[in-house]
Amino acid sequence: MSINEPHDPAVEIVDMAAVARAPLEPAIPATDRKSIKRELRRELFRTPSFIVGAVISLFWVACAVAPGIFTKWGESDFVRNSDGASIPRASPRADAWFGTDTIGQDVFARVIYGADNVLITSPIAALIAVLAGAVLGLVMGYFRGWADEILSRVLEAVLSLPVVLLAIMAVVTFGSTRLVLILTIATLFTPVVARTVRSAVLAEAQLDYVTSAKLRGEPALFIMLREIFPNISNILVVEFTVRVGYAIFTVATLSFLGFSVGSASDADWGRDISDTYSLIQAGQWWPAIFPALAIASLVIAINLIADSVDKVYSS
Amino acid sequence: MDWKRFDSLRSTAGPIELDLVEAYAQNRIGRRDFVKRGTIIGLSAPFMGAIIAACGSSSDGEAAAEPTAAADSGGSTDAEPTSAPAAAETTSGGNLIVGNQFGDANSGLDPVAMLDLGTYNIISQTFEYLVGLGADGNISDNALATGWSPNGDGSQWTFDLRDDAVWRDGSPLTSADVAATMDRMVEFGNSGLAGVIEAGSVDSSDPSKAVISLVEPNGNFPVLVSIFNPQSCITRADYSSGTTLNERDEGTGAWMLESFDPSTFDAKFVPNPNWWGGSTILDSLELRGFADIGTAVTAMSSRSIDVIQNFSVIGGEGLLDDAAFSVLTPPSSNHRQVWFNVQEGDFATSNLVRQALGWCLDREQMVSTLFSGRAEIGNDHPILSSLPFFDADATPQRTRDIDMAKSLMAEAGVDEVNATFTCGDLGEVPDLANIIRANAAEAGINLTVDVQSNSTFYGNSWCPGPSETDPTQPCAGSGSVGAVDYGHRPIPDIFLSSALSTGGVWNSSNYASDTFDGLLSDYRTAPDVASQKTAIGAIQKLMHEDQPALYPYFFNFLAGHDENVSGIQATALGHIVTSKASKA
Amino acid sequence: MLRYIARRLALSLITLFLILLIVFSLTRVFPSEPARQLAGPFASEERVEQLTENLGLDDPLPTQFGRLVRDVVTLDFGESFSQPGVRVLDLIRPALWNSAKLVILSLLLVLPISIFGGIMAARKKDTLLDRSIVSFGLASASIPDFVSGVLLQFLIGVKLGWLPAVSNAPDDAGLLTGIKFILLPALAILFVYFGYIARITRAGAIGAFEADYTRTAYMKGMSSSKVIRKHVLRNALQPTVAVTGTQMGYLFGGLIGLEVVFNYNGLGGLIFRAATAPDFPLLQAAVLSVAIIFMLSTLAADLIIAWMNPRARLDLGDD
Repeated sequence: MSINEPHDPAVEIVDMAAVARAPLEPAIPATDRKSIKRELRRELFRTPSFIVGAVISLFWVACAVAPGIFTKWGESDFVRNSDGASIPRASPRADAWFGTDTIGQDVFARVIYGADNVLITSPIAALIAVLAGAVLGLVMGYFRGWADEILSRVLEAVLSLPVVLLAIMAVVTFGSTRLVLILTIATLFTPVVARTVRSAVLAEAQLDYVTSAKLRGEPALFIMLREIFPNISNILVVEFTVRVGYAIFTVATLSFLGFSVGSASDADWGRDISDTYSLIQAGQWWPAIFPALAIASLVIAINLIADSVDKVYSS
Repeated sequence: MDWKRFDSLRSTAGPIELDLVEAYAQNRIGRRDFVKRGTIIGLSAPFMGAIIAACGSSSDGEAAAEPTAAADSGGSTDAEPTSAPAAAETTSGGNLIVGNQFGDANSGLDPVAMLDLGTYNIISQTFEYLVGLGADGNISDNALATGWSPNGDGSQWTFDLRDDAVWRDGSPLTSADVAATMDRMVEFGNSGLAGVIEAGSVDSSDPSKAVISLVEPNGNFPVLVSIFNPQSCITRADYSSGTTLNERDEGTGAWMLESFDPSTFDAKFVPNPNWWGGSTILDSLELRGFADIGTAVTAMSSRSIDVIQNFSVIGGEGLLDDAAFSVLTPPSSNHRQVWFNVQEGDFATSNLVRQALGWCLDREQMVSTLFSGRAEIGNDHPILSSLPFFDADATPQRTRDIDMAKSLMAEAGVDEVNATFTCGDLGEVPDLANIIRANAAEAGINLTVDVQSNSTFYGNSWCPGPSETDPTQPCAGSGSVGAVDYGHRPIPDIFLSSALSTGGVWNSSNYASDTFDGLLSDYRTAPDVASQKTAIGAIQKLMHEDQPALYPYFFNFLAGHDENVSGIQATALGHIVTSKASKA
Repeated sequence: MLRYIARRLALSLITLFLILLIVFSLTRVFPSEPARQLAGPFASEERVEQLTENLGLDDPLPTQFGRLVRDVVTLDFGESFSQPGVRVLDLIRPALWNSAKLVILSLLLVLPISIFGGIMAARKKDTLLDRSIVSFGLASASIPDFVSGVLLQFLIGVKLGWLPAVSNAPDDAGLLTGIKFILLPALAILFVYFGYIARITRAGAIGAFEADYTRTAYMKGMSSSKVIRKHVLRNALQPTVAVTGTQMGYLFGGLIGLEVVFNYNGLGGLIFRAATAPDFPLLQAAVLSVAIIFMLSTLAADLIIAWMNPRARLDLGDD
C-alpha cells in the first residue's frame, strides 16, 4: 500500500474480510479464546504450505546462527586451486558448489554467511512496525475524530515518500548502521500496519462487547488493550509475517542501491548482487543469481507461512 | 655515423635539444626514448629523422638493450590507441553513438573545472588543445600549435599557433586567447600547472606566437598544455570562468554542440563548418551518458552504441571475445594509489608499518584477478617502468613476503593494526580493497573495508580540505588508509607534485618532506634524461623509505568500437577523438 | 459524489503540505553543507560561500520554506541546483513522461494477463492449473525486479537479440519502435506483478463465485461466461483495482533498479540523483510529483470501485 513495495498481498483481503465479518459474528468470550488458539495452532502446524515455509526459514536461520556447519570456506576466503592460485569467476565446481565471485570468494559460502544480515534486520524492523502500527491503529480506530484525521494525513504523507529518499537521508545523517536501516524500514511500514489495524479496530469497535464496556465506564486504555487488542491479534500476526517478507525485499533492494550495512567484505545478498550483476552478460551468472535465489526462497518461505497463518486464522 | 651531417644539424639546435641529441648519439638513450623525448621538447619529425639517419644503424642495436619494456608507456604488450584509418573508399556520413561515462552532475560542462572522464570527452569534441594527440598515443603537433621550442634552459617555451583556427564568428585564434586560458587555469588552481606557471605568464604581443614563461625550468612543459591536461583546452579570451559549454558554445574544434540533456548526460554534435581540419566524415555525433559501466557494455554488445569510451576486463569478457569488436588500448599509466595519512591515524606512527603493508600485497593476484593480466604490477611508487627515466636498480621489485612484513612491524614495536580502509565505488577499487584486506590479515593488519559513494568519498575520506592552521596538511582529516584512482598522464609530474609534494592539492597522505620537494624540483628542472633519472631514482628510494602511499599496479585503459567504425583515437583519460572517424 | 471528490481533494492538499514539510525538513535540517557537496571537493571556500548565498541556503528556515510553498503553488520550481541554468520542470517533464510510458505499457501487459490468470485459477480452484498459477506467481514475485530485469536483458536482449537490450530509443522513434525499446523492462514488471495481481484477483473471484448472486445466476440458466461478465468480474475486481491504484506511486517513482539496468531516464533515477547531489528544488519537485500521482490514482481507484459496486457508494457519502 505504499509506494515502496511492489507487493501488499493479504492486507486488502484481511481488510475486507474483517469488515464483512463484523456485523454477523458475536464477540468471543475470553475463556474460550485460549483453547481456540491452541486448536488453530495445531491446525497450522499441519498445513503443508506452512511446513514448507517453516522448513526453509529454519534452514536460513540455522545458516545465520552457525554458518560454519554448512561451508568450510569463510565468507571472504579466496578459493585456491592446488598450486595456490586463486580462481576468480570460476563456474560451479566440486570445491565451490556455486562457483566463485569477482575476486575469487566462494559464492556458496557468501550465500550462507549472508543470511544473518537479512534475518536480523527484517524481523526486528517488521516487529517495530507492527507494534508501532498497532498503537497508532488502535488510537485512530477507537478515538476517531481529530486524532484520526490528523494521524491519517501524516501517515499518508509518510507512505508517499520514496524509500530511496528516506534511506539516503537517514544514512547521510546518521551513518549506515544496522539500527538506522531497521528504523528506516520500520518507519516505512508503520503506516501500512496502522491502516490495517485501524480498519479492524473500526469494525470491532462497533460490536456489542465494546459498547457494553464503554457503558460500564471502563477507561479507554483498558478497552483498547484488554478487550479489542486480543481480538485483532490474529491480524497482527498475519501482518507481522507479511511485513517480514517485505522487509527482506526492501533490505535487499537497499543493499543493491548501495545502502548496505557493515564492511564491504561481509557477505550481503543485496550488495553481492549489485556487485556482480553486470557479470551476467559476460556469461558469469552464478555470483548474482544464487544470492537472488536465496532472497527469493526466503521471501517465498515467509509468504507461505503468512498465507497459511492467514488461512487458518480467518476460518 | 655521419659526423659531418650530424654536426651541421647540431648547430641549429638549442642547448636542451643538443643535450638530447648528444645523449642519443652517444647511445645513452635508445631511439624510441629519443623520439618520445624529442616530441615532447618540440623537435620536428623531419629533424629527428635526420638525426636518426645521421647517427646510422649502430644505435638501433643499442635501443634493443634499453630496459624499456615492449610497450611505450602502458602496461599492454602493444599499445593500440588508434583504430585503423578509414580505407580510401569509405562511405561518408552517418551518425556515431559513443557510450560515455555519466559526468558529475554538479560541475556541468565547464572546461576549467571539469574533473570526470565523461565531461572531458564532451568538451574535447568542441574545444582543442595547444598540443595534440599523435597516432602512437604520444603528444603531437597536430592541434592548435604547429610547433614549439624551449629557450636555453627550458624556462620559456614558444608555441607557434596555427593561422587557420577560428572561433564561431570567424575571428581567428590568437595568443591572447592562450594567455586568457592560462590565466583562468592559474586562477582556478589547475593541478597540472600548479607551481609551473603564474598569472600573466603568457606574452601575447605576437598574435601568432604564445611565449610562456615558467616559474622554473621544466623540460616536460608541452605535455602540461596537451590533451593530457584535459582542462588546458583553449577557450576564447572573453570566455568567463564558470561558463559551461551548453551555455556558450565556442570552440575551434571539429564539432559544435547541438544539444545537451543533463538528465541523461546526452550530448549531440553537428559538424563545425569552419573547422581548420576540413570536414568531418560523419554527419553527426552523439555522446550518450551511462550511469553504469555494465549497462554500457550491454549496449555495446547489442550494438545499441558504436563506440564505448571505457570498459573493464571484469564483465567485459564478452566484448573481448567478440570478433566483430575492436579493442583500443591507449598507453596508460592509470593506477590506484593506496594512500596513508602520515600525520594522523592508525598508520601515522611509523613508516615501517606502512612498508609492512606494502610487503603484504599479492600483486600478481591483483593483476590476474582484477585485470586478467591486462595490467603491470607496480612497485609502490608512481613511476611507470617504461618511462625513460625510470631507475630499475634503485628499488628492487617488492613481492609478497609476510615474514618481512611481520619483522618490520616487530621492529616498529607494533603487534597489530586496526584501521578502516575507505574507497569509492569506482570500477574494481572495492574488489582491490577486499583483496588488500585479505592479504594484510596474515601480518596482523586488520582492515575494515568501507566502500562509500563517490560524492561522500572524495569530500569526506580522501581529501576533506586543507587545515586552517597547518600548511603541511592540504587534506587534513583524510582517512588513515584508502584507495583512490589516478588517470593516465604521459609524465608522472602530477602524480608527484599534486599527490605527494608538500601542500599538493591531491596530497591525501599529507606527506610533507623537504627532501622530496627538492628532488621533485631537481627532476623538473633536469635538462636531460640522465639527470632526470638521477632525481627519479632518488625519489623511488625515498618513497620506499617514507612510504606515504602504495602503488599496487598500473592497468590498461580499455575502449573499443564496432568493426564497422574506423578512424577513432582514444586516450586513457577518456577522450574519444572522432574528427576523422567514419562508419561503414 | 461530487462532495466526496471535493472532500478527498481537500484532504489530499493537507497531505501534500505535510509531504512538503517532511521533505524540506529532511533536506535542510540534517545533512551538512549542501553547497560544499554541490561545488565539489576542490572548489575554494569563497566559491562555496557564494554558492550558499546564491541558492538562498543561508536564509532563515521559515523563509526558505515559504519560498518553497510559493514555488509549489505557482508551479515554478526554479532552477536546479546541480545543473545551473536548467529549470527543474525541464528536468522533470521528460522523466515523468518516460515513467508514464513504461507504466502504461506495463499495465497493458500486467492487468489483462494477471486478471485472466486469477479468474482461471479461481474457476479451477484447487486443481493443478490453480496451484501452478499461484506457485508461479509466488515465485516470480519473490525475485527482485532488478534481477529479473538483468536476466531478461541478457537472455532476450543480448543473447537472442530479439529486443533492444538498452532502453534508449532514438528521438524520432514511432509508436511501435518506442514500444520495442521499453518492452524488456515492462516484462520485468510483469514478472514482479503477475503473482500479486493474479492472487488478489483469484481471492476476489473465489469470493464472487461462491456468492449467492452467482449461484442464483447459474440456477437461472445463465452461461458461465455471461455469469463471469455480468456478476463475477464486477465484484472480483474491486480489490484488484484498489491494489493497482496504490501501486502507481511505486511504478512511477520506485523503479530505480530497472532504470539503472536499462539506462532509462525515469522518475526513480531522477529522485535518486537529486537526493545524492543534493539538488533540493529538483528533489522536492520530483517527490511531489510522485505523491500527487499516488493520491490521484488512489482517488481514481476508489471512484472506479464505487462505480463497480453500488454498495460502496454509500461509504463515499453519496446521497
